[in-house]
Amino acid sequence: MATDLRISNISKIYPGCVANDNVSLQFKSGKIYALLGENGAGKSTLVKILSGVISPDNGEVFLNEKNLKLSSPLDAKKNKIGMVFQHFNLFETLSVFENLSIDATEDNKSLRVRINEILKKYNFNIELDVPVLNLSAGQKQKVEIIRCLLRSPKVLIMDEPTSVLTEQETEELFISLKKFCGEGILIIYITHKLKEVLSLCDEVAVMRKGKVVSVSHTQNERVETLANKMVGQKLAKIKKKINISKNKDEIFKVKHLNFYSDDPFETNLVNLNFSVKKGECLGIAGISGNGQNELFQILSGEIITPDTSIIFRNKEIAKLNPKQRREYLMAFSPEDRISQAAVPELKIYENVALNNFKSSNFFEKGLVNEKKIKEHSKKILSDFSVNTDNVELKSQFLSGGNLQKLILGRELITAPELLICYNPTWGLDVGAINYIHETLIKINDQEKSTILISTDTEELLKLSDRIAVIYKGKLSKIMPSEEVTPEKLGVLMGGGSID
Amino acid sequence: MALYFFTPFIAIILTILGGGIIFYILGFNPIESLKFYFITPISNLYGFSELLLKATPLCLIAIGLSFCFKSNNWNIGAEGQLTFGAIVGGGVALLFYNQEGFYILPLVIIAGAIGGMFFALIPAILKTYFNTNEILVSLMLVYVSKLLLDYLVVGPWSNPEGFNFPETRQFSDSSRMPLLFEGLRIHAGIFLALAAVMLSWFILYKTYLGFQIKVSGLSLKTAKYAGFKGKTMILVVFMISGACAGLAGVGEIAGPIGQLHRMISPDYGFTAIIVAFLGRLNPFGIIFASLVVALTYLGAETAQIFLQIPKYTGQVFQGMILFFLLASDYLLFFKVKILNLKKNELRH
Repeated sequence: MATDLRISNISKIYPGCVANDNVSLQFKSGKIYALLGENGAGKSTLVKILSGVISPDNGEVFLNEKNLKLSSPLDAKKNKIGMVFQHFNLFETLSVFENLSIDATEDNKSLRVRINEILKKYNFNIELDVPVLNLSAGQKQKVEIIRCLLRSPKVLIMDEPTSVLTEQETEELFISLKKFCGEGILIIYITHKLKEVLSLCDEVAVMRKGKVVSVSHTQNERVETLANKMVGQKLAKIKKKINISKNKDEIFKVKHLNFYSDDPFETNLVNLNFSVKKGECLGIAGISGNGQNELFQILSGEIITPDTSIIFRNKEIAKLNPKQRREYLMAFSPEDRISQAAVPELKIYENVALNNFKSSNFFEKGLVNEKKIKEHSKKILSDFSVNTDNVELKSQFLSGGNLQKLILGRELITAPELLICYNPTWGLDVGAINYIHETLIKINDQEKSTILISTDTEELLKLSDRIAVIYKGKLSKIMPSEEVTPEKLGVLMGGGSID
Repeated sequence: MALYFFTPFIAIILTILGGGIIFYILGFNPIESLKFYFITPISNLYGFSELLLKATPLCLIAIGLSFCFKSNNWNIGAEGQLTFGAIVGGGVALLFYNQEGFYILPLVIIAGAIGGMFFALIPAILKTYFNTNEILVSLMLVYVSKLLLDYLVVGPWSNPEGFNFPETRQFSDSSRMPLLFEGLRIHAGIFLALAAVMLSWFILYKTYLGFQIKVSGLSLKTAKYAGFKGKTMILVVFMISGACAGLAGVGEIAGPIGQLHRMISPDYGFTAIIVAFLGRLNPFGIIFASLVVALTYLGAETAQIFLQIPKYTGQVFQGMILFFLLASDYLLFFKVKILNLKKNELRH
């Protein structure tokens, strides 16, 4: 039976922001639809409305011409709308089967039969009785998909599904999605990755500032045309810079970095050794959860490991805390920009004061120098083109891209010799990504160094001079980036070896 | 944000309504009883001075606690810190029991603050270096200090001319807080409380320490990332909190009581937790909250006299305030929805 999902004149207004402005879209089964848009363009709001998490101020949703009242996620489920979120909703310590049975309405025996049917039909290779903890991200996602499939959905919404997958896993996902589509499930695919839109989807709707600005067939689009529609302006293409740092001094050197954790959710690091040259960008690739978190925290000084030696500008800094490391001109941009790099409840200028290096005079004799901090913040807002000049604004009202610009601005204001960033463009839109990439390249051009820990291979290939891959807490050999291909990285990230 | 400072008022109104209902069930005229409870106690100058007298320790302790609570340190043992402060301050006062001199009172006050500070350092040090839970440790230390006080007033420090009553000698006049007005019990300790309010406002909003406390309270992850010295901060907030409680203890013994005995505090240290939250951990909010909660102490005493109900109804009112405050916070900041589900659907 064909499915027809129609969104009619949906509006959702938050104080000071129109998230959805009269959005109307039509989807028909048998096709895969992409929903594209910058952060804050309103696509998450739209998806939340479709999955019943929030209710619109205005407008209606029709499924096969039936007006749906979606006032809770339960309503969405009842109406056969399935949703796979970017962050998985699984209990790590329970087995796959237990996770699936929490949600089920039938007895365990028939449930197991049905799950096995699904596994067989779509060629999913998942053990039902192992804890979810032991699964790869791709397998976890499959568990989430199975959870939706068990309810025989008419509509399946995928939110940024490939952000944690390897190339191989992404391909597998695409094959499955095409299969679902062939069976008459309507698929709505939300992503920032333009290439995926082109290779997977049939139609693409682009949103900007709460409005749908374009609906088109993907065969008529190219990466550039889509990007321009999203951002609403022509994007300058970033050139990959020339590797000029072959014979430079090493300014940062890590020896014998070992980390052992009692926490099963953390990854142990085994004997990492690497160095960074002046003006160089060292890329560290890997699928998330392979030790990047722990590595970042050790490099920033949040975790002190006893045996490690970290030499920075000829000084041993392994025992120093993050504040002290900053004084030696290191800077850090963590992955979790919302709750670690900044505090959402604090005002912009207060968040700027978090990088309280000595010469800033933010705090003189223990007293807050509000004037100085605010002046400084104003400069960051304008230098890094954050779209507000109000330093009193709470940072929770900044979009992801603007918040990241603020954080980078804060970290770079000390003119650090080494910036360590972890997934700096995670979840950002093309415009913001471009801006951040340009900024990172500029740092290298000024003979300052960067360590880029990232799960985005494209970004790594674009920005790094040398690349290593982290897999299960071990670092691969470090390769000059011109010798590296996405395929090579994919193999290493999946635990394979190349020679 | 406005709502955030508004819910305490809702909680107070609900508490008064709740109190009225309880009085009604007990067979009293609710309007009359509430009048005895909340109006009669402060309808004359003496009553009003008693209100300030009771609000003084509550305010002081709550100010100290706000430092701990704002930075996610759960010091529940202010009562113990108050008691220990009173023991140390009282010990100094007893040393000088037969002497006069302007220097004695400052010594007593300082000794009390140091005593409270020391006693708060115990849970702080155990938390920072041994990873213990400060809630349990600080709470259990309350009983340690109370039993110590008990031992001292019946044993070594008991008044030799006191016919074996469990109390010490009377302090000399030089150890006593100066009275502000003839015939009223309100004493100079109130200035200590007001000074604490001003100082805490300054520290919390104008200094680097205050900034660190704020950030740590909102996100420990960020505090760690920013490189704040987490351990030092825990020690400092506990010391501030303990010093305030110690001062409150000294204020009581050197103020209205004038000696050490078993009942130096009607659980001010615990009630101050309610005061701190009712005042939204804001220095000026705490002044207001301490007056409201002090009134429940006075009202309970009046009600005992006029209605012949036990004065422990005061604790019922204090409990209701906290209950309604938490409830109105919850109901105002979260949306509660009643789902009408069939049995099977519940499993979805």
